[in-house]
Amino acid sequence: MKHEITVKQGTNIVAFSGEIDLESSPAAREILLKCFEITNNVIVDLSGVTYIDSSGVASLVEALQAAKKNGSRFALAATSEPTRRVLELARLDKVFTLYDSVNDGINA
Amino acid sequence: MNSIPPGGDRRNPNRFDRRKSAQVSGHLELLSKMSGHLAVTINIEETIQKALDLIVQFVKAEGGALFMLTDRGNRLVCKASAGPVDIRGISVRAGEGIVGQCVASGTNRMVRDVMQDPDFDHSVDDSTGFRTRSILCAPMTVQNERIGAIELVNKDDENGLFSEPDLLMLQTLASAAALAIHNAHMAEELVEQERVTRELELATEMQRSLLPEPRGPGFPVCGVNLPAYEMSGDFYDFFELADGRIYFGLGDVSGKGMDAALLMSKTASLFRCLGKTILEPDILLATINRELCETAIHGMFVTMVCGLLDPATGEVRVANAGHEPLQIHRRDGSFNEIAASSPPLGIIPLETGDNGIRMEACLLDCGTLYIFTDGVTEGALENGSRLNVEGFKAMIRERAGLPAAARIEAVVSVLRGTGRKRHDDITLLAVDDSTRCLCRDNSPGEENLIARHTFPAHPEELHGVREVVARACETCSCGQALSTDLIIAVGEACQNVVRHAYKGRETGEATLEIYCKDGILEFHLLDSAPPVDQDKVKPKWPEELTPGGLGVCLIHDIMDEVEYLPAPAVRGNLLRMVKRITRDAANET
Repeated sequence: MKHEITVKQGTNIVAFSGEIDLESSPAAREILLKCFEITNNVIVDLSGVTYIDSSGVASLVEALQAAKKNGSRFALAATSEPTRRVLELARLDKVFTLYDSVNDGINA
Repeated sequence: MNSIPPGGDRRNPNRFDRRKSAQVSGHLELLSKMSGHLAVTINIEETIQKALDLIVQFVKAEGGALFMLTDRGNRLVCKASAGPVDIRGISVRAGEGIVGQCVASGTNRMVRDVMQDPDFDHSVDDSTGFRTRSILCAPMTVQNERIGAIELVNKDDENGLFSEPDLLMLQTLASAAALAIHNAHMAEELVEQERVTRELELATEMQRSLLPEPRGPGFPVCGVNLPAYEMSGDFYDFFELADGRIYFGLGDVSGKGMDAALLMSKTASLFRCLGKTILEPDILLATINRELCETAIHGMFVTMVCGLLDPATGEVRVANAGHEPLQIHRRDGSFNEIAASSPPLGIIPLETGDNGIRMEACLLDCGTLYIFTDGVTEGALENGSRLNVEGFKAMIRERAGLPAAARIEAVVSVLRGTGRKRHDDITLLAVDDSTRCLCRDNSPGEENLIARHTFPAHPEELHGVREVVARACETCSCGQALSTDLIIAVGEACQNVVRHAYKGRETGEATLEIYCKDGILEFHLLDSAPPVDQDKVKPKWPEELTPGGLGVCLIHDIMDEVEYLPAPAVRGNLLRMVKRITRDAANET
């Protein structure tokens, strides 16, 4: 798993790529929680994620809970087919705010 | 005569009107008081006593008695009594005495001096010491049916004489009392009816509890019983013996209704009790027969089948006493019958063997044995015709691919769904050997293995496992969507091994085997960790949002079958996951 953080129009965009699985999900969790220390507006770009497992989903859920707790915005954007499928199977596609693209998220 | 002429007293109309008006209002007050009193009680005795007390009080009599017709209208019994002497319980023959004549003729009587009346019966006065001087008596009638009479004795004033208005008043009050008594009767009947209904409900519940609980898929015996009325004259039962064999039985008691239901309960209890120790079906039937004959109820008998299934071999030993032929549906689609060798139970003592209850032994050989009552074959179809044995066989043949429980449920739902009134209980039992053969025939062998991958139980190994799954999916032409799903499911299963089975210790290995046979992908994931707690690996939506719990849910959502098999080694777990490749999935690119 790789990641890149950019700031665009006041929104922190965390772009993950590769696989978020048991091996990499602790790192993903760390990155997302750290983000909320410096900003209250995070969008995760999932377009480059080729695989996510339940531990990766758990990292996203934890970030969402942290955001809700301190009133921050946390949204997912540009979900790749494998991520969309897992979120759907986990019945979490209605729990997260999902945008078709990062730009949609920024302009929302 | 102290009567009031119709039209009132012409000499002083005002005086009379006032009197009449006072009387009417008193009359109305009493009626309303009586109705009020009677409305709060539905107890007959209380109703009668209250009515009489109020009447005696209002008409100002020394005493009174309320008589009811009993003994099919042959006797009048005193049910309530007011005044100095309690005469409750005394009875006179209908038609005798003043009260008897009053009821018989349906007319009121006013006797000013009982000494002058030949109908007066002195016996009560003689035995009680009371002196009756005058009597007022009015019959009670409801819907043209005489139910009794109210008798008042001795007007409680200076001359002790009743007047015509008193009689009129009594007549009115007697009608009201009759109605109240009638209502109380109806209420009592209603209560009784409700009691009987409740009893019947309890009995139905009790009887249902005699039937065995369904054991779910994989268990070779299942049955269904659909009573035509509240109570069933049919039963079926099955239970396992310590040696792994399964006893099964089905019976049909002649006749319907409560007596048949009770005999059914008795026979079912005998089967379950004696079956635990008598391990030969023919001897069991002969023993049950002896018991039933000892306490035979005239004209009632039981047709019954019982048998033993060895689930390991598919061997069945079965005996049939007077019941419809059993049907064995063979794997090749043909049917064999096992006909009764003896008359039904409960008629004459029967020996075992060729001249009595004979036991048949046969191998089901992946077929299914069906036992049913005539309610099934004589059951009416939508078009009014009967299902018959041939119709039954055709239905079973068409559903051979379904589990046994679904097959018999289909037969029953056809008979239930017609909306016609059923007159016979429907009972059907299936002894199924096909699941044993399904496992044997369908489990993949070494020749179906398309991948075997052994890996250390570390998070960084999971990527490699997923690549193995992806390649296997490509080999089997799964299609992209299914491939994605299977990678998710198998990935989660492997993740659980890494996370839970070895509990973070870095010593373990796991092996994934992937088989492909007849469009079915089967994944075997073997580890050598301590056995997992089966309860913890059941999906629990939606409260389980921990990654592990979520993983189990994903596996169950995606796979068609998920089960833990006995591991080949002493330690370890073998998780079997099965997915059918549908044509839609395969065609998708």
